[in-house]
Amino acid sequence: MPEPSSIPLRVVIVDDEPLARAVLAEFLSAETNVEVVAQCANGFEAVKAVSELTPDLLLLDVQMPKLDGFEVLDLVGRDVAVVFTTAYDQYALRAFEVHAVDYLLKPISAERLGEALVRVRERLGRGERATSPGMMAAAKPQEGKAHRVLVRDGPRVHVIPVDKIDYVQAQDDYVCFRSEGKDYLKEQTLGETEAALDPAAFVRIHRSYLLNLSRLVRVDQDERENRVAVLTDGRRLPVSRAGYTRLSSLL
Amino acid sequence: MHPILARLERLAAYLALWCAIGVLEGVVLTRQGLGWGEALVQVLPPLLAYSFVCLSAFYVCRAMPLTTSGVAGVLTASAVAASVAGGLWLILNEVWLGTLESMPDLASITRRFRGEVPFLFAVAVMLFLLVLSVHYVVLAFEAFRTAERQQLELQVLTRDAELRALRAQVNPHFLYNSLNSISALTGSDPAAARRMCLLLAEFLRTTLRVSTQERIPLAEELTLAERYLSIEQVRFGARLQVERSIDESALECQVPPLVLQPLLENAVGHGIAGMIDGGIIRLDVVRRGERLAIAVENPRDPDAMPRARGGVGLENVRKRLTIVFGGAARMDAAQSDTSFRVALDLPCHFDA
Repeated sequence: MPEPSSIPLRVVIVDDEPLARAVLAEFLSAETNVEVVAQCANGFEAVKAVSELTPDLLLLDVQMPKLDGFEVLDLVGRDVAVVFTTAYDQYALRAFEVHAVDYLLKPISAERLGEALVRVRERLGRGERATSPGMMAAAKPQEGKAHRVLVRDGPRVHVIPVDKIDYVQAQDDYVCFRSEGKDYLKEQTLGETEAALDPAAFVRIHRSYLLNLSRLVRVDQDERENRVAVLTDGRRLPVSRAGYTRLSSLL
Repeated sequence: MHPILARLERLAAYLALWCAIGVLEGVVLTRQGLGWGEALVQVLPPLLAYSFVCLSAFYVCRAMPLTTSGVAGVLTASAVAASVAGGLWLILNEVWLGTLESMPDLASITRRFRGEVPFLFAVAVMLFLLVLSVHYVVLAFEAFRTAERQQLELQVLTRDAELRALRAQVNPHFLYNSLNSISALTGSDPAAARRMCLLLAEFLRTTLRVSTQERIPLAEELTLAERYLSIEQVRFGARLQVERSIDESALECQVPPLVLQPLLENAVGHGIAGMIDGGIIRLDVVRRGERLAIAVENPRDPDAMPRARGGVGLENVRKRLTIVFGGAARMDAAQSDTSFRVALDLPCHFDA
């Protein structure tokens, strides 16, 4: 195993304020074995940079337009170590729940940034990433349920409003969101998806299916006495015995 | 609570003083031909018992406080109390001498002593009056200390309230982000860093000053708002643009301090900051006769996530308008997919 301090770090800085990026870049230029490979002004650019440049570390602001820092981490946290930078201390707990390596409060000092780099190298030296199960749940707004779902497609990010989702299907290590005739794959479990969505709007009708209640037309029985949910677009989804009980209690 | 009985060390000092007085009396008596031992054994016990009688002077002080009782009343009460105390001393003395006389070995020594009783009675009365005046002094001193402490507590409370008011006005994250900008500029553009420091200082100083006032001219509120916008301009650069339309005649209107700045802060924080390319904030100030209308409109991202400090600043403004004007002022907020507008309608002049 190499000495932690000798591990080279390729860093992407993400902040919507140019001066906030500049001060981080200035501090990093004084560090050895650290290269700033990109500076991004928003979360979409950050996801793109992670896909195309495969950096080791993301210095990530929390409050940004379109995608906030937690949403970015939800999308790329499996590929890159994340250190949050923010003026707000109230996100610290949440940051560590989603396994951010560190949490820097603005104004940031060069010394504190240096400590964060040490932690990043220690974690990389152990071969760990920032991944955590249930990140989706942690990346939803602090109060209430998610009102949109973010799905990464290489360098692109799809933003799916929750009311545009017809149903969610479990597929091995992924879930598939069906929305407006398209399928979107996301690396998480159906249980995590269920926890992030409003339980009054989405019902687990089957081990592998989470249904948007507003898409349900009726429940039929097929020739082998199995129950089937018929959706507004004519699609038919299987309903388990437990799923039917949950469905009945909501209707 | 009795000021001397309340603390053990005070009681000890008090009794020590009485012992000293007893010794002095003993010295005087030896001049009259008594032996040392004889004098002390006769003087000290009733005197120490009497010292507790004198503690009752506290109740005289309480019944006749100097601040509210007349001189004649205080003097009369003191004279009566001193006479009663002197009478008690006579009784104590008599009981003690009687005890000594009942013991055959000691009976002879009290005979000469009895001649000194009138002198000792006079001393006892004087001592009571002395203790009484000491009580008055101690009580006055304690009242002074209490008043001083209350004054300090009041100052702390006032300061605390002012600070809380300031915290409610100045968003701490605005400060942290501004300081981070200054930190960044220090390396790349020291002159700009200095300008930003001065802007921030001016903004804070003005905010502190006006937040204690009941009303300020609108012109002053606008100056404060412009300082705020200049600071945010450094952070957001070209993303933040402002269009102003301001009636000259409105400038002399009187407004409660810090009613406009929170509207702009809301427009920046919940509007501009949430948009990748930023946008234009519109500020409209119109005067119609004795009414003043202030409106701030900002673009917003239709998919914006709810933010942490949602609406607290606006809610503060609404509360303060209600406190100051009752039903004579109103605040309306309207939101579309792409814009947010908040409008104030208030009297141009008012009596606080």
